[in-house]
Amino acid sequence: MKKIYFTMLIFVLAISTIFASGQSEKVDNNEVSNKPLSVMIWDTNQEPGITKMIEEFTQRTGIKAEVQVVNWNNYWTLLAAGAEGGSLPDIFWMHSKASEKYMSNGLLLNLSDKINQSDEINLDNYPSEIVKLYTYENNSYAIPKDIDTIALWYNKTLFDEAGVEYPNENWSWDDLYINAKKLTKADGSVYGYANKNSEGQGGWYNMVYSNNGYIISDDKKKSGLDNPNTIEALQTMQKLIDEKIMPPQEMMAENNVDVLFQSGKVAMAPFGSWMLSSFKSNEYIKNNCDVALLPKNAKTNRRVSIFNGLGWAISANSKRADDSWKLIEFFGSKEGQLLQAELGITMSAYNNTSANWKSSAPYFNLDSYLKMQNDMVMYPYSKSSVKWELAVNDSMLEAWSGKITITEASKKAAKLMNEIISEE
Amino acid sequence: MGNKSLKNTRNRNTFLWGWILILPTILGLLILNIYPMFETIYQSFFKTGDFGRGNTFVGFKNYIKLINDLDVLQAVINTFKFTIVEVPFSIIIALILAVVLNTKIKCKSIYRTIVFLPMVAAPAAVAMVWKWLYNSQFGLINNFFDINVYWISNPSIAIYSIAIIGIWSDIGYNMILFLASLQEVPKDYYEAANLDGANGILKFFHITIPMISPMIFFVLVTRIIAAMKVFDFIYMIMDRANPALKKTQSLVFIFYQHSFVEKDYGYGSAIVVLLLVIIMLITIIQIFAQKKWVHYN
Repeated sequence: MKKIYFTMLIFVLAISTIFASGQSEKVDNNEVSNKPLSVMIWDTNQEPGITKMIEEFTQRTGIKAEVQVVNWNNYWTLLAAGAEGGSLPDIFWMHSKASEKYMSNGLLLNLSDKINQSDEINLDNYPSEIVKLYTYENNSYAIPKDIDTIALWYNKTLFDEAGVEYPNENWSWDDLYINAKKLTKADGSVYGYANKNSEGQGGWYNMVYSNNGYIISDDKKKSGLDNPNTIEALQTMQKLIDEKIMPPQEMMAENNVDVLFQSGKVAMAPFGSWMLSSFKSNEYIKNNCDVALLPKNAKTNRRVSIFNGLGWAISANSKRADDSWKLIEFFGSKEGQLLQAELGITMSAYNNTSANWKSSAPYFNLDSYLKMQNDMVMYPYSKSSVKWELAVNDSMLEAWSGKITITEASKKAAKLMNEIISEE
Repeated sequence: MGNKSLKNTRNRNTFLWGWILILPTILGLLILNIYPMFETIYQSFFKTGDFGRGNTFVGFKNYIKLINDLDVLQAVINTFKFTIVEVPFSIIIALILAVVLNTKIKCKSIYRTIVFLPMVAAPAAVAMVWKWLYNSQFGLINNFFDINVYWISNPSIAIYSIAIIGIWSDIGYNMILFLASLQEVPKDYYEAANLDGANGILKFFHITIPMISPMIFFVLVTRIIAAMKVFDFIYMIMDRANPALKKTQSLVFIFYQHSFVEKDYGYGSAIVVLLLVIIMLITIIQIFAQKKWVHYN
């Protein structure tokens, strides 16, 4: 009999441990508000600035928050896993390529009422395209954080050595090609031009839209990769690859373009405005490099920059929605947006704050990024962006690595993309 | 009569205690391994909805897609390439090292520790260090030998570069197992062989190998299973924009891509079921083949 009691005891103990974990979730409110809010972002370079802003916020309100950085690729994997398991961070960044999916599945907190009652937030103060990204069925689900454009960075030292004139606003993509060729050294120590090929925003999308091509149609039903204008625009890329003016894809896969650029292996490369926080802390770039406008298209005379804007979102099942709202209200307020610009974290979404951003690094010609705002195209997206972007990048990769021509690759990518869109 | 019932009670007690003692392990297996396994097979017949909601039954559609997917075929080839290089080399080198370190040489334990060290390091950290060694522009290997080889982005060699990392990390573990087994080989056999005038190589092939063949068999089976499931090195080293990715991604890697990056659990599950079948077949073949070469005394 003794043994049976003993056995039962073990069972009770074993089972009670299972419930113990369930009980611990019931903690009183006091304890909850002492715990810092969890904030998840993907850009390491912005982390110090954002932490500074949070410190400012904590001083005023007493609400603490903790930033966690997860790199871009793992961010979406982790966020989706959190969404399924019901354990999203309180506050996180939203991006156009995923926002519709998250909003339509009810994973983000509906902010419309809070915005209506707020003195700080008025959505008219932000670019309407960015506000639209985070609006679903007339409700708002995120506060615009920033706006970004693309511009051309160049290495002045390498230009001087090769005796080439710095890029200027009269440059067309053909001028870029001719001068990049002059800058390229035969022994492979310097390449004239490079752009990041694992995504399109910082590189070839800009060429496509300047030539009146497109990635996805306006009604988001059809791929534009097989459009003649798209393919024509990408012939510049083909020349750069064929004549080895751009580093081989192997080299760019092993070392990011920004690493190649800041080690003087690449003379010109386009980068998004979000790279500023990284570049201004790099001595080499500070001393040798500067930024200019992207070239224009000779045929259409357009100089398009793809633009995008992140949003601050709150998890729909956050236990501290009110505290979380206070934090993103601060991030999105005029004051918070000015602070973000002054700290040089990124350009702010709030209208007319760019002057502050420009002065955060006066040694670079940051005016280029602002001028690029004259002809902006929203970063192409649809509900299934995550999936078709991977398919497009994978097919285009075969062209970047010289296995097939760009014409073949874009037709293949268009076919895959259309299949994925039709399943939406 | 009384005697018999006493025996029955004792039997029952032993039986009960036996179950209680293995219960934690069994529960762990059931909850963490067996249940997810059937769940995975079940999932493979569904098309996954957003965030795992609203799955729809599609029958064998995932499997039909799987058979026609060239990437999957290439992944099977890659996985085999990795296994065929990694397993034999890690076993042969470990065996030789074990035999050498089993003899009377100075500082034996220092060498043993050095060889075993990679086993202690986290695979992700190991992969990061090798990634830098292999880097074509700034890597130690290319700069030291003054060559320009794309170790991890040339499609024809990248998988072997990754296999080398696998060999390097596995030698230590295999060697420890072989060392343990070598200590149990009776000295008499070697003494007898010495009297017969056998040299070292003859003794190795005719005494050492047959005597430790059960251990070699164990290592072979577990290593092949582990190699077939390779993921972490490839995940840490290969970038999505790497031209060699298609020629290096393993089955588990594309399973991860489909399941967790593209959130298509249905298709991901189908891939992993394929891997299960392949591993099962290989293991069955090995269990039959062992009768030909493994000696149990």
